[in-house]
Amino acid sequence: MIRAAALLALAGFILLPLAQAVILSFTATLPTEALAAGTIGLMNYRNVLAAPELRAAMVNSAVYVVLNVVLCIAVALPAAYALARYRFVGDRHFLLLILVFRVTPPVVLSLPIFILFAQLGLVNSPVGIALVHCLFNLPVAIWILESFIRAVPRALDETAFLDGHSTASFFFRFLVPEIAPGIGVAAFFCFIFSWVEVVFARILTVTAGKPITMAINAMFGFQTDLGLVMAMTCLSLLPGVAMIWFVRNHLARGFTLRA
Amino acid sequence: MRSHDNRAWFLLLPALLLLGVVGALPLLAVINYGFHDIFTLQDVHWVGIDWYVDILGSDRFLASLGRSLLFSTLALTIQVPLGIAVALLLTSYGRRAVWGLMLCALPLVVPWNMIPMLWLGLIDKGGGLLGPGLASLGFDWKFTAWHTWALILIVDTWHWLGLVVVLAYAGLSAIPSAYCQAAAIDGASRWATFRFIQLPRITGALAIVILLRFVDSFMIYTEAFAINAGGPSDATRFLSIELGEEIKGFSYGQAAARATLYFLIVLAVVWAFVMATRQSEDT
Repeated sequence: MIRAAALLALAGFILLPLAQAVILSFTATLPTEALAAGTIGLMNYRNVLAAPELRAAMVNSAVYVVLNVVLCIAVALPAAYALARYRFVGDRHFLLLILVFRVTPPVVLSLPIFILFAQLGLVNSPVGIALVHCLFNLPVAIWILESFIRAVPRALDETAFLDGHSTASFFFRFLVPEIAPGIGVAAFFCFIFSWVEVVFARILTVTAGKPITMAINAMFGFQTDLGLVMAMTCLSLLPGVAMIWFVRNHLARGFTLRA
Repeated sequence: MRSHDNRAWFLLLPALLLLGVVGALPLLAVINYGFHDIFTLQDVHWVGIDWYVDILGSDRFLASLGRSLLFSTLALTIQVPLGIAVALLLTSYGRRAVWGLMLCALPLVVPWNMIPMLWLGLIDKGGGLLGPGLASLGFDWKFTAWHTWALILIVDTWHWLGLVVVLAYAGLSAIPSAYCQAAAIDGASRWATFRFIQLPRITGALAIVILLRFVDSFMIYTEAFAINAGGPSDATRFLSIELGEEIKGFSYGQAAARATLYFLIVLAVVWAFVMATRQSEDT
C-alpha cells in the first residue's frame, strides 16, 4: 500500500509539469481573429510545422546530435577496448583526465571555444557543436563501453584472432554485435546530454544554425504565444522519449566511476 | 586478467586528439586570458594576478561561493537518498521496474532552458495547475528568498532525480540475489541488508552520481537565472550567475580569471573525492 502510494506520488511529481505543457500545447493562448483564446485543438502543432525557422531548428538539432553520437561512439570504442583489455603506463591518469573533462563546467570554456571555433570556421555549423559536446559525452561513452567490453570474456578476442581475423574485422564482426546493448546505452546518454545542452549550443550559433533550444528561446518576446512554445517543447521531447523506449531494458546497466 | 601492453596508447589517440582540441586547448587559453586585461582581441595587456586578487578579496565572491556550496550540499542531501530510496522501491517490482525507470528518465530529455519555463508555467498564478493553490498558501517565489531557494531546489530535484535513480538502480540490480537471500536467512533487518550488503556494492555507481550532481549543482545557471536571475536581493546569486554577468558585460579578462578559479575549485573537490574513493577501494 505504502509502496504504491509512494510510486504514485513520484509519478505525480514527475508528470505534473509535463502535463501542464501538454495541455497548453493543445490550447490557443494568443487570440486571433478566427480563434478565441482557450480553444482546444491542434493549431499550435500546425503552426510549428508551418514555420520554416522552427522546422530548420529541428533539423539542426538532429544533425549535430547524431554527428556527436556517431563521433563519440567511434572514438570511444577503441579507447574503451584498450582500457578494458590492457594495462599500460598512465592508464589511470587517462581515466582521471577524462573525468576532469567530464566535470569541467561548460561555462568555463565557452569563451575560448568560441574564439577557437571562429578561427576554424566552425561557428554557426552543426559540426562545431557536435565536436564540442564530445567534451562531456566522450568520457561517459568510454565509461559505459569499457564496462560492457570488460564483461565479454577474453576468449572471444583470442578465438577471433586465432581464426585469422584482423583487428578491424574482429571489432566489427565480433565485438560490436556482442556489446550492442552497451552501444545503445552509450548512445542514449550521449544523445540526451547533447540534445538538452544549451550553453555551447547558444554561443556557437550566432546568426544561423540555431538548434531547437535556441529557437524556443527566440519565441519569447513582447507577445509570447505560450501554446506555440509548449507545442515546440513537446515536439522536442519526442526523440528523447523514443530513445528511452529503445534502451529501456539496458538502461539499468548505467555507468560507474572509473578513475 | 589484463595484459601489459603500452601499444594500447594508439587506441587512445583519437580520444586524446579530440579532447585536446575541445578541452585542453581552450582550458590553456582561459588560463592565459585570466592574466590579461582584454579590451579587444588586438588590445590585450598583461596584468598578472590582479584579477585574482580582486576576485578573492571581494565579499561578493565569498558570499556567492557560500551560496553555491550550500546549494550543492542541499541538492546532494535531498537527491542522493531520495534517488536511492526510489531505486530500492523499484527493485521490489522485478521486471515491471522498467516502467518506473522510464518515468524517472523523462525529465532528463527535456531541454534545459525549457525546464524553468515548465515550472514557472505550472505555478503561474493565472493559468498554472498549481498556481492558485500555491498563491493562496502565500507562496511568493519572486520576493521571498527561501521560497526562491525551495523552488530552485525542487526544480533541480525534478530534473536530476532520474539520473540518481537510474545509476543507483543499475548498481542494485547488479548484486547477485543470493547475497540478499543469505541475509534474509540470517534474519537481517531491511535496514541491515541495505547498510551492509547493498550500499557497499553500489558505491561505484554512487560515486559518479555524487560527482556529477556536485559539479552540475555547483555551477547551476540555466534554472537559477531563468527563475529569479539571482534575486530577490542577491539571495540566489550563485557563482555561475556572477560569471555570466561578467561575460555579458564584456570584461573577458576578469571572466577568464573567474572561470579558472571555478575550474580549480571543482578540480580540488574532484581530486579529494577520487583520492577518498581510491583509499576505500584499497582497504
